Amino acid sequence: MEDQVATASCMAACPVQTDTRRYVELITQGKYEEALEFLLDANPFSSVCGRICHHPCEQQCRRSKVDAPVGLRMLKRFVVENTREYRLLRRKWIEPSREEKVAIIGSGPAGLTAAYDLAKLGFGAVVYEKNDLPGGMLGTAIPRYRLPWAVLKEDIDDILSLGVDVRTGYEIGAGIGINELREAGYAAILIATGLSESRTLGIPGIDSEGVLLAIPFLRTVAGGRGASLGERVVVIGGGNVAIDVARCARRLGVEKVTLVSLESWEEMPAWKWEIEETVQEGVEIQNSWGPRSVFTEDGVVRGLELKRCTAVFDEAGRFNPSFDEGDVSTLLADNIIIAIGQWSDLTCIEGSAVKAARDRLEYEPETLTTTEEGVFACGEVVTGPGAAVEAVRDGHRAAKAIVHYLDTGELLSQPVTKPPCLGDIPLDTAKKIKQRAPVIPELAPADARVRDFSEIERGFTEAEALAEAKRCLACTTGALADEEKCAGCLTCVRICPFGVATVEETAAMPQELCQACGLCAAECPAAAIALKRFGTNRMREEIEGLFAGIGMREDIHPLIVSYCCLFEVTSRKLVRSEPSDAARTGVARVMVPCVARLSVVDILAPFELGADCVVIISCTEGDCLYPTAEERLSARVRRAKSILDEIGLGGERIDHWRTERSAEVSWSAFWELSKRKLRALGG
Amino acid sequence: MIVGERKPLLELKGFIEDYRKVLIVGCGTCATVCFAGGESEVKVLGSALRIAFLREGKEREILEDCVTRQCEPEFVDKVTQRVADEKIEAVLSLACGVGVNFVAEKLEEVPVFPGINTKFFGATVEPGVWVEMCAGCGNCILHLTGGICPVARCSKSILNGPCGGSSDGKCEISPDVDCAWALIIKRMKKLGTLDHLSKMIEPRDWSTSLHGGPRRVVHEELKPVQAGREQD
Repeated sequence: MEDQVATASCMAACPVQTDTRRYVELITQGKYEEALEFLLDANPFSSVCGRICHHPCEQQCRRSKVDAPVGLRMLKRFVVENTREYRLLRRKWIEPSREEKVAIIGSGPAGLTAAYDLAKLGFGAVVYEKNDLPGGMLGTAIPRYRLPWAVLKEDIDDILSLGVDVRTGYEIGAGIGINELREAGYAAILIATGLSESRTLGIPGIDSEGVLLAIPFLRTVAGGRGASLGERVVVIGGGNVAIDVARCARRLGVEKVTLVSLESWEEMPAWKWEIEETVQEGVEIQNSWGPRSVFTEDGVVRGLELKRCTAVFDEAGRFNPSFDEGDVSTLLADNIIIAIGQWSDLTCIEGSAVKAARDRLEYEPETLTTTEEGVFACGEVVTGPGAAVEAVRDGHRAAKAIVHYLDTGELLSQPVTKPPCLGDIPLDTAKKIKQRAPVIPELAPADARVRDFSEIERGFTEAEALAEAKRCLACTTGALADEEKCAGCLTCVRICPFGVATVEETAAMPQELCQACGLCAAECPAAAIALKRFGTNRMREEIEGLFAGIGMREDIHPLIVSYCCLFEVTSRKLVRSEPSDAARTGVARVMVPCVARLSVVDILAPFELGADCVVIISCTEGDCLYPTAEERLSARVRRAKSILDEIGLGGERIDHWRTERSAEVSWSAFWELSKRKLRALGG
Repeated sequence: MIVGERKPLLELKGFIEDYRKVLIVGCGTCATVCFAGGESEVKVLGSALRIAFLREGKEREILEDCVTRQCEPEFVDKVTQRVADEKIEAVLSLACGVGVNFVAEKLEEVPVFPGINTKFFGATVEPGVWVEMCAGCGNCILHLTGGICPVARCSKSILNGPCGGSSDGKCEISPDVDCAWALIIKRMKKLGTLDHLSKMIEPRDWSTSLHGGPRRVVHEELKPVQAGREQD
């Protein structure tokens, strides 16, 4: 069933609109490989984004109003970390099926994403990279403690494996330029060179020895070549690059690192969590100061004079800082590193008809075209600074624009629109949702972190990932009432633990409020409620599938169908249910995302299909995600038992257990107890 | 609504024991709302019967269906058509007695068995609890009794109560049963019309109830108009 309402907030917030709910659901189902397929489909830089994405999905996660957002970035990381072998096996060279070749200048996330899409569609894609390593800033500037090279390489190797040809150390410009590329037969050219050069400051003393620029410094550090710094380092800038520089300086052994930011603490453009981690690592942050001059001794830096910044933006909201020249301060420094922004190196357009105004390409944002036909542009070179995932989005858009152009000779207009978003969960509903603390692996202690460039954050364990995935509210994947069948009996309204269902003439469960517990569907006397996830026929289909796979099931006595709460497992060993397991153990497991959605019919169905016993295993007592669900299920179990009693089969053939500690610890014991009881009953 | 309750399973099993192909038909209105015979109950019953026959090694085909109302010809036509098309041998109706009658009339040669006991006209006093409130006597006197029906709700259906069996607002038949006359008095006190009760309610003409034979309501304006006939 398709969503009929606004896009889930997490998905709407994601620049590439990854359906986060779907991969989280796949994790809960133990389908990590499918989750990877799903992730890579939306984003070839999934390994990278699992590490460094600024995760707007989490910032918009509706669970924030209940307790804390779901750790979506870490769940993505979990998927890529736990599917490495599969990822190698799935790689497939794609023989170009199209004659047209596309040249891409720049191998950052934008350029490589475009190449990935083009290669998948059968176009030959050749990527020219002026540096020795592919990946753009990801490969050459992002510090390794945030993004280990091996992680980036997973994504890049995947892209290369399709047949994308990346030529590193190959600068497009004066020698071989755009004109020459065209002459070489490229049908389209994409400029995705990013913002690779650091801006500097026009203040006295800036050319002194010991003054460094952020990007060259980060390149040196990321290249593992170290950098010789003095005892005191001042970093100028308040953005993420400045933060990277300051933290790298600490890791290079500098004891006193001071970051000077024009912006106040609240205004700093760096991500708040990164600022906090930076402070933990012993970096001092001085806010609302601007650089006035570098003071030197014999041409060598000795310090920085600062002036008070009274406002960063003018009344129109533009960046236009004002200062109080009378309020000054000084900082001693052996090195000053400038991290105030980047500009584009536009060498590649020299000699071509592609125009640039100042250091920006002239560009049409909806068609991604430059002033020369057949030459497109995307990514930070045209958008200005952005996040990696935004570059991935731009790469996708560029590939789409180029493919359309090559197919039709026409330009494709892709308006930049934001999908309608669900917005926050209303407080009334949020209050009714049970709180559940997020799983947040602790970072390494700050003093250990600054010792080297080792990665500072560990990934989720499987148990942690499954516990965190369970927290997803699965927004907009809930119940749907069938108006034709609905008798307007109000049962859903009376049963809904979140007060969401309404009946005017017929029932309605507003998708933006429904919590997808399935209780209404289990109780509806008209069978008029469908569930978008794990539909009401699913239980029976799963049993039929398992039984069909068992073969001679008459030989298996007793044969148990066990409906188990999917959310209680701590590894996927129990999540997957195979006929061979059922044949070997005599227990056919049906994993249900909350067994409280089992209807009386679901509980009876296994007996019709030939089972001797039904064992329902719900969550640990009191631990159900959904209020009242445990009591509702118990009542339905009692009813099913009474029906078996009535027809003489005996209600004792239905057992209802509650998980103790975890599935792995307690479930086998429950099945064994049920088997013993059945044997005593005579099978 | 009309409130019913499913018959015991073994009784139902007994009805259909001798038929190989049986259709259970639910009713999507009253029987659904009172959890006696909606689509879900059809499924539960179907499942229970299949399990019961399976246990005895008897091959029975139990089919399931549910229509909007079994008391309307257009809806019932679908059932009769299916019965004919699929050569169904017997029908188990989970509608109230009206539906059973109506389907039985339409299915001339195929037996129709009642799946539920039709109990009363009642209301949902709390989720899962239905209480009788109307006896369908055909001559309503609720305007005289504060909107509370002594015919349906007084155990003796007396028109000038309460009787000596009323105690603390309860009827002598059970402490769970409210005395209708106690309710009437309480309600009329609130309405300020208690004095109306000083006037005796005259003995009733019960011919409007079942004492006058099967009842019928006719709306002339709704009767079918033959195609081609000129309008007045």
